Parts: sequence; structure tokens; C-alpha cells
Amino acid sequence: MASEDTQIRINDLSFNIEGKTLLHNTNLSLNGDGITVLLGANGAGKTILLKLLTGLLIPCSGSITFEGGNLSIKTRAFVSQEPVILRRSVLKNMLFVLEKITSEKSTLAKELLSLMGLDKKEHQNALTLSAGEKQRLCLARAIITDPEILLLDEPTANIEPNSTTLIEKYLIQKVRSSRKIFFVTHDINQARRLADEIVFIHTGRVIEHSSAKNFFENPKTKEARKYISGKIN
Amino acid sequence: MNDISEAFISSLGLILFLDAELLEIILLSFKITFYAVLISSILGIPLGAFLASTHFKFRNIVVSILFGMMGLPPVVVGLFVYLIFSRSGSLGWMGLLYSPTVMIIAQVILILPIVCCLTFQIIESLHTRYHEFFRSYRIAKLKSVIAYIVDSRFELTTVVLAGIGRSISEVGAIIIVGGNIDHITRVMTTAIALETSKGNLDLALGLGIILLATAIVLNGFILFLRGKYLKTPGSTI
Repeated sequence: MASEDTQIRINDLSFNIEGKTLLHNTNLSLNGDGITVLLGANGAGKTILLKLLTGLLIPCSGSITFEGGNLSIKTRAFVSQEPVILRRSVLKNMLFVLEKITSEKSTLAKELLSLMGLDKKEHQNALTLSAGEKQRLCLARAIITDPEILLLDEPTANIEPNSTTLIEKYLIQKVRSSRKIFFVTHDINQARRLADEIVFIHTGRVIEHSSAKNFFENPKTKEARKYISGKIN
Repeated sequence: MNDISEAFISSLGLILFLDAELLEIILLSFKITFYAVLISSILGIPLGAFLASTHFKFRNIVVSILFGMMGLPPVVVGLFVYLIFSRSGSLGWMGLLYSPTVMIIAQVILILPIVCCLTFQIIESLHTRYHEFFRSYRIAKLKSVIAYIVDSRFELTTVVLAGIGRSISEVGAIIIVGGNIDHITRVMTTAIALETSKGNLDLALGLGIILLATAIVLNGFILFLRGKYLKTPGSTI
């Protein structure tokens, strides 16, 4: 479990594709708990940073280190904007990500599905779920792996409001206290509701990193002010 | 015209009265097709799934060769297998030439690339959707290949049916390696070629009707499955 003592350090992290730099020499020091929201306009580099943190992308230079804890690559779970659902039942989707299926894990899977409002659909073909239900299933599937870091890439984009409410409620009440969460969103109001700290990215550069309260009350850069006021998106 | 009508009626008689010779030929055809498609599927589906979901140095070359092999001329395959299994060939000591076993081997060489490449195409599109998910959860390679096969099981049924269609209608390779020996290696296609050349049109037509019916049923089944799977959530065809 991630703790307050754990620090996630990002040192001179860069990422290029075909000669184009998508993330410039990024340096950050983040707490091992709470919700860090990555904010920024389209194409700013939020998802790139999230995928680098997940290990899905390899940085061109720099490193990410976890200090003061036992965080390793095996303790991260990533949920993408487009829910990836296997062609099998809801329950089997949950169990697929486990290395070993035990009776405890099966019980936990059912409990998580119940928390996500999917308990009555556990034997249903998961591909027939609604967009919101699919995303809730993806979140429950991520949690069952017991990750120390949960990385969510716009998990509530394009889903119905009741699913968004359920996911936010679940993250705040059940997950926040025990895990580090990285959350990418375009929704300023959602960021206000969820964030403990904000990392604001603009054209591949982290230009602000502060507590959510500071960021929304006293943004330091004009880009952040414009973003908060909805002038750039 | 009269001769053809008579031959057609006579062929229907052979089918309706379950002529022993006709049945023997049909059963051997189905047996060879069954084993050839079974072996091709066991080898070709996992290989296609592996190639579609794995990137290694010479992958594109391997895939290009396999796609090229989809159009292998059957007579060339027949000649190649004949040379290997003939008395002076490298595997001549096995004494398999002119046996159903060597016919199955020739059929596997022809069908395996088809099964492998069609599987590759189906699973490649699934891989685009799944690979990031598998990587983020560090799913083992074997488990992911099995998942690709399981999740494209409906589409892969049509691959197997395509293999059956190719196998049962093949004549060029198996006539060379099987020799079309009566009661031993005579199958529907080779028998049709022989009986037609002899002027024995009723048996040739009878076998032709069965072969045609098999092809129609198989293709109908493929279309039925395709229509059914298109309605299935997550369909990739």
C-alpha cells in the first residue's frame, strides 16, 4: 500500500516520437498517496505522462523512481479512456487479470461488482454492457489486482452521469485512502471535486504543480488561468 | 444430352442406394480432410495468434512468406512431397508414398498457411484493442495468446471451415502423392478426374454432386456464422 512516506520522483523525463518532443524534461516530486489530477489542454501530454508512469511507454531520457516504499511495476493498474472488455462474462473479465484465482479473490470480485452496481450482471456478456457499466467494470477489474498506484485516463469521458457519480464516489470513499491515484480529466469541476494536487501540463511541459486549492484559487501561469476560465481546452 | 441425363439419373441412384464404392470414396475424403484440417488448425491457429500479437526482428519476413504460401500451386506441393517421400527421397525409408498419411501431409502443407494467415488477420485487429490492456496488467504471453484465440473463437470457426473447403476440393497434390489407388487412396476429387477420363460419368457425377453439396453446405454455414457473429458484440468480421 502506498503511504505518505513514499515519494514518486520524476527526473528529467522526456518522450519523443519521430523527432517530435511530446514531453519535455519533466521533474516532479509527488506524494505516495491522495489523488493527483493531470490537467491540460488536448495534446498537452497528460496521457503520455500517465503511460510513462504506468510503464506502457519507455522514456527517451530521465527516470521515474519510487522512494521510501516498496512500489514496483507490479503494483500499478491502468484504466484507459476506451474501456477494454474481453469477450466473456462480467465476472470472467474480473478474474482474467488475476495470476491465481482463489475463493477469496472470487468473493472479492463479486463484492467489487456489487459496489460498482454490476452484481446482477456478473454472468452477462460484458460486451453488452453500457459504456458507463463497461468503465465501472474496468475500474473494479483494476482494483481487484490490489494496485498501489491506480492510473486513470479520462475514465468518465463519454459515459452517463450516474456512472460518473458512482465512480467518483467509489474513488473518494473506498480507494483514495489506501492507494495513490493519478487521474487525467478535462473536466475542471471534476478536478475540483477529486484532486488533492494538480499537475498542469501545457504543450508537453509541466508548468504548474500545486495543491488543488492553490491551483484553483491562485494559478501562477496565464495558461492555467486561461484553462480554468475555459479559454483553452 | 441423353447420355448426360442418363448419367445424372444413374448418379442419383448411386447416392440414394448408398453405393458401397461411392461411400468408401466419400468416407476416405472426409477422413483425410478431417485430419488435415485438425492438424492445420492445431498448428496454424496458435502460430497465427502468436505472429499477430508478437513483434520480433524478422516477423514481417515470416508473415510475408506465409502469405505467399497461401497461393502455393497444389501440383508443386504434390511434386515436392512426392520427391521427399519417394524411395530415393530423404524420407523414403518411411514408406508413406501412396498412402492416406502422405495425402494428409500434402494437404497440411497447403492448408496450414491459409489457416495461419486468416487467423493472423483476425487476431491482429483484436491485438490492436487488447495489447495495451495486456501489457498494463502484465499478462503472460501464453495467457494472452489463449485469450486472443478464445475471444475470436466465432471468427476462427469460419477459418476452419475455409480450411475444410480448400482441403476437400483439392486434387493436384493428392493425386501425385496418393496415386489414386482404388480402395486405398482414392478420394472424391481424384475419382472424379479418373472416372471422367474413363467415360464413367454416373460415378463421376455422383461424386461431383456430393462434392458440390459439401461445398454449398460449408459456404452456407460460413455465411450463416458470419451473419450470426456480426450481431455478436465485439465482432471483428
